[in-house]
Amino acid sequence: MNDNLTLSILEIVGSPLCVASDDGQKVHDRIAAALKEGQNVTVSFLNVTSLTSAFLNAAIGQLYGSFSEKEIRSKLKVTDLEPDDRALLKRVVDTAKEYFKDPQRFKNAERAASRDS
Amino acid sequence: MKFALQRIRHEQSGFEALVRLHAQTKECRLTRVEIDMSATDWFDADMCAAFGAILYHLSSGLNTLELTNIPKSVEKILSKNGFLSNYGRAKLPDTWGTTIPYQRFDVKDDRYFARYIEGEFVHRPEMPKMSGGLIKKFRESVFEIFSNAVLHSRTKLGIFSCGQFFPNRHRLDFSVVDLGVGIRRNVKEGAGFDLPAEEAIAWATQGRNTTKRGPIPGGLGLKLLTEFVNLNEGRLQIVSDTGYWCLQKDHVSTARLPLPFPGTAVSLEIKTSDTRSYVLSSELKESDIF
Repeated sequence: MNDNLTLSILEIVGSPLCVASDDGQKVHDRIAAALKEGQNVTVSFLNVTSLTSAFLNAAIGQLYGSFSEKEIRSKLKVTDLEPDDRALLKRVVDTAKEYFKDPQRFKNAERAASRDS
Repeated sequence: MKFALQRIRHEQSGFEALVRLHAQTKECRLTRVEIDMSATDWFDADMCAAFGAILYHLSSGLNTLELTNIPKSVEKILSKNGFLSNYGRAKLPDTWGTTIPYQRFDVKDDRYFARYIEGEFVHRPEMPKMSGGLIKKFRESVFEIFSNAVLHSRTKLGIFSCGQFFPNRHRLDFSVVDLGVGIRRNVKEGAGFDLPAEEAIAWATQGRNTTKRGPIPGGLGLKLLTEFVNLNEGRLQIVSDTGYWCLQKDHVSTARLPLPFPGTAVSLEIKTSDTRSYVLSSELKESDIF
């Protein structure tokens, strides 16, 4: 088994404009499936020209509702991000950690996730 | 039935004129509605987004709309940006390339909106010479506004946008408007705060405040927008329900509109001569993100 999976955002979204929450969801679902399988995941932003917090919240922020910080830090890597996009992702990640500290929100998240599955 | 429309400026008074028109017309059904624009001696083109939203709401009540007595100068602007094409006029060519056309989108149209911004703004040679960093920030900001409308508005009637570039003033105005439930109701239902409309807007623009519930976090979009506007020394206006909120030169002012706007309007004004690089000097490494 390949234990280091590289995911191309451009390939998953099919566009360099990564702005829609729905597109972020597609990326999230791939990352989450791989992490559940115990894989190390590298997410490449090569050739992505636009990112929004809505996209990154769905793609990456959401992971903090299902995986621990420790797990994410050890298993997930990102590459090919412009410096300002790196800063944006960091803010999305910090906001997500804060968001999932609220137990009521977390409960709602789990309830929504179980409804979806 | 005949209703008069006053001058529409890209500011509080313009929104007040539009909410008055909405209040007067919102109960109309199966009626011929004439909007008499003889007193509309000025119309800031990006305000077509808010005007178009109100007219769309009106036409969804199966009314026949007619815009009459439009002063020539206003008619020319609203024909160039394609707005009047929706109301029986031919589109005029935009010779100087200063318009970002009026468009209506559905909430599933994120990609179509992104392509509209790329095609009508980013890749148009006649658009103002702006630094690469500024173009990127502007583009991301309007995508954030659109995403906010998609994620929060619950609109069934769509999202409207329009922009205008003023070459001599080095200014670009751009508005995105939805016909959704509004920020006040979202803050009440999502966060449990029953605030006056203008205070609800202020709450939504602060820090990590979010009305989001469920598996996907939120709470950054409007904050990022306010940071960009402050750096660019531009202006951001938000109108939702009876709330009016304006950010300019690091200063926020709010007001209560006499009547509610049927959704949320976000109006962005940026200085196109801004030469700031917007590239962060941060040494943040990719390995430090998580």
